[in-house]
Amino acid sequence: MKQHTYLRAYMAGIVVPTIFLLVVMTSYCVLRYVYNFPVPVERIIVFPMAVVPNLWGLWNMLFVALRSRWHLSIGLHGALLPILLGPFGMVMLGILNVSVPDLVAHALPIAAPIALIAYYLAWKYVVAFLNQVVEVA
Amino acid sequence: MNEQNDKEIQELLKRSIAPIVDTELRRDLWPEMLKKLSHQPVRVPWFDWALVAILSGLLIVFPGVIPALLYHL
Repeated sequence: MKQHTYLRAYMAGIVVPTIFLLVVMTSYCVLRYVYNFPVPVERIIVFPMAVVPNLWGLWNMLFVALRSRWHLSIGLHGALLPILLGPFGMVMLGILNVSVPDLVAHALPIAAPIALIAYYLAWKYVVAFLNQVVEVA
Repeated sequence: MNEQNDKEIQELLKRSIAPIVDTELRRDLWPEMLKKLSHQPVRVPWFDWALVAILSGLLIVFPGVIPALLYHL
């Protein structure tokens, strides 16, 4: 299997956020429509649904393209993604005029290291496994 | 007498065991062998276990991060 390496890398990259989105969307819908929790799902969903999976796929393509030159481990490569996604997500919230709840706003300074650790582990174990399955790494 | 017995036994064996007709392999087993040889069980280093513990601890102490993390994942 030597053809379409980048396409396979993209597909392996989008798996985690795409599956995760189903779980998150189900939780949000239950919160919103069953418990009437004030979360404007329709406004914020565009970022995790469209931007995040595509960025994961593109980031994995970048890893495959650069791995022979940079020799960066996939975990560290994945841990760099929140540095791009974090500010992008905040900008999107600003553009969509979504107010961040106080509980979340207070925890935001600690969110960066948490995101780095979570992404490092997800990329090192899950995305690396998927790359092996589709034979791109 | 012994030789005759041997021959008889040989004949009996030949008759009782059906000859193998199709001796060719239906598929190449070597790629699977290579895959098995290269397959290594996942070993999680202590550093990653420590990171999992830190992550769990932080999420318990700062539950407000969870929605932000879900939004970005």
